[in-house]
Amino acid sequence: MGVAMGERPAGMTEEPMPLRRLFAASSLLFLLVLAVSPAKNALRPYRFLQRQFRDLGMSRATSLKAAEAYANQPVAIRQIWLRDFDNRVDRCTTCHLGVADPVMIGAPEPFRTHPKTAHTPDDFDRIGCTSCHGGQGLATSKEDAHGLSKEDAAPMTPAAFIQSGCGRCHVSRSVPDAPTLSAGRALVERAGCYACHSVRGHESYRSEAPPLDTVSLKTGGMWLRGWLENPKAVDPNATMPNFHLSADDIRALSHYLFSQPVPDGLARSIEAASREPAGDPAAGKRIFSESRCITCHTLDGKGNGSGPELSKIASAATRGWLIAFLRDPHAFNPRTRMPRYNFSESDVRDIVAYFEEELRDFEAPEEILQPLRVNQTLAEKGAILFRNAGCGSCHVSGSTNEVEKFGPDLDGFGDRRAASLDFGRRHDLPRTVPSWLVAKIESPRSFADGLKMPSYGFDEEQKRAIVTALLSNGAQPVPEKYRHHAPETVAMIPGGRVGELFSRYRCLSCHQVGNRGDDISTAPLTFEGSKVRREWLIEYLLLPYTLRPILPERMPILKMSRDEATLLADAIKTFYVDPAIAADPFVGRPASDRDPAEGERLYTTLGCRGCHIIGASGGYVGPPLTDTSKRLEPGWIFHFLKNPQVWRADLRCPNYGLTDTDALRLTAYLETLGSQAAAKPPSAGKESPR
Amino acid sequence: MRRPGVLLLMVALVAFAACRRSLPAKPAGAALPSPSAYDLEIGRNVYLAYCATCHGEKGAGDGFNAFNLDPHPRDLGDPEFQKKKSDADLADVIRRGGAGVGLSSLMPPWGHTLNDRQIEDVVLYIRGLKGS
Repeated sequence: MGVAMGERPAGMTEEPMPLRRLFAASSLLFLLVLAVSPAKNALRPYRFLQRQFRDLGMSRATSLKAAEAYANQPVAIRQIWLRDFDNRVDRCTTCHLGVADPVMIGAPEPFRTHPKTAHTPDDFDRIGCTSCHGGQGLATSKEDAHGLSKEDAAPMTPAAFIQSGCGRCHVSRSVPDAPTLSAGRALVERAGCYACHSVRGHESYRSEAPPLDTVSLKTGGMWLRGWLENPKAVDPNATMPNFHLSADDIRALSHYLFSQPVPDGLARSIEAASREPAGDPAAGKRIFSESRCITCHTLDGKGNGSGPELSKIASAATRGWLIAFLRDPHAFNPRTRMPRYNFSESDVRDIVAYFEEELRDFEAPEEILQPLRVNQTLAEKGAILFRNAGCGSCHVSGSTNEVEKFGPDLDGFGDRRAASLDFGRRHDLPRTVPSWLVAKIESPRSFADGLKMPSYGFDEEQKRAIVTALLSNGAQPVPEKYRHHAPETVAMIPGGRVGELFSRYRCLSCHQVGNRGDDISTAPLTFEGSKVRREWLIEYLLLPYTLRPILPERMPILKMSRDEATLLADAIKTFYVDPAIAADPFVGRPASDRDPAEGERLYTTLGCRGCHIIGASGGYVGPPLTDTSKRLEPGWIFHFLKNPQVWRADLRCPNYGLTDTDALRLTAYLETLGSQAAAKPPSAGKESPR
Repeated sequence: MRRPGVLLLMVALVAFAACRRSLPAKPAGAALPSPSAYDLEIGRNVYLAYCATCHGEKGAGDGFNAFNLDPHPRDLGDPEFQKKKSDADLADVIRRGGAGVGLSSLMPPWGHTLNDRQIEDVVLYIRGLKGS
């Protein structure tokens, strides 16, 4: 009790204490809570990085003033705001402080200077960061900004595929300074991806794959089985992918293909051709080489490779079919790039005789071209398979233009989220869009059973290029102001008889006209009319010769008639001219600009003979100039010398930065070549000693 | 009682921040700029398009056009040569050509054809050439 009594007064006197203590504790707590937010802010990693950057800058600065500038940089969030580019706000430079600072070359990340590109260091304020790199521009922590923290936020594009960023704005097929992207876009087109997958801007794509209605007269059951099993094993140039068909499927498909009715006209011409007398293989070999078939095809791997390998062609196709096809390839496949040569009846017999003598598979059994006797049940099974495997997306029959887009569309892959993709069985893959795409291209059917996409056997570089191209397609096109189209150039193809000739000889399979046409030839036709002389062009079309011996691709002798050559030359001289090129570049210039002796001196001192031949001496890189005056228009020579790359961006002749006077004098000198009885080679050996 | 608590907190904060500030910035002053893969890709393309015809694919001075040229194209892989020439020297001869620096005019000037970035990148690529 005494104790209790003793306690109470103590408790009584101490009574205010717990209250005070409570008050003290709660105010402390209150202060702490108040301090959380400023403390959190003060501790945000970017602040430390900015101080670290300041120190690094001061230690690297080369002048006191520069060091002071680093020291005075406030610690603050930095951002690039692009009002006209989807209202983008990129705060990446809050941590990546040195991107535009040359002092930070080789500095540790995140401070390193951005590698130089066409847009850096000049365009940060115009383009920002996320427009090329992806990621979350508004975030200010590494995890959030790089898109690593949330599944639904767009992550950054991995460095290996970074050129996809270029493709967001640069929509043309070939993008300068983005070689991987350009290669990828070309591959996607060449591999025929657009045949099954719809992609914005490529809706009108049609595969060049041949219609299959003449298979039964073209080849044998055994060859067809080998082809269906793995096309690339039969022909390394094959564009057809491997469908991994089972032996049963291959049998059924073969029977279906052999059951296809051959169109009457083609059947008649094939059968008539098969009864023609044998040709002369030696003559055929000569015509084959004159026709420059390996400008597109290959022979034992040698050649351009955009067409099929021909070393075993006589074991792949029957004699009658080959003869009929060579006479009119376009009747068999209206979309083929192969020209219809103006061969005579016997020319074609000779070529095919040469095929049969030398270009066949000497190890193949006799029956490789034995036709298949069709089993209706199997053929019906094959018909279903043909439809289900999507064969018709590429092998469109000649008459229809309707194509079913068989695969899912590939638009907007650049903005897809990994969460929206089906990884199926592939638990081994990192959950990212690029890794999904690479795996899909590598082994498309590894994700689940019953998938239909065939495999293409692309190598690592090709896969990287294709994925880069696919990632360059955003969900939405970028604002028009930022879109960069290929420069507009004339792409007109004349109609009428000239148009027929353009189509017959498939000029666009090798030559570019404006933005159209393929690129096998180094000479675009866009301004060919301003470049070459009419008489030369006619003779060249009749009998093309080698202008640049280093190129494996040569203009084929198409055997056109003089009438046709004249018509084409006149059309080219009329339509494909550049109004900026004057016919006579010397008009209004002093007579001294016409001095060929001065031009010859320039030819020697500039070292032109390193690449060009005149007479008997010179290099083999550029075309020989011996007959320049017969071949080239003086206006074009002048124009070319002033800026060779106007003609073609990738042209190798250096721009010497010539003055008008020097360019004219060189033109005057080149104009004397070929006009005299004997062209005098320039005196060599004058260049300065090494 | 309140004051020491707040003081303690402030001291702790300042000390922590100071600690972080005094973290050694990596000594990067001497580090060489490592070329990015992109620079090398561009450099390689430029080299193969414009240089390899004479200097050869690997820089040994054995391109297919080399036999036409007297003096012979330089072996770019030669370690002596690589050591002797600075990046600026290489860029200069590429830009102004052989004639511009008192060498053979058969080496053309590329300064009007290639931009500074391409020249910088091709120098980076040439630095990696081993020659034959």
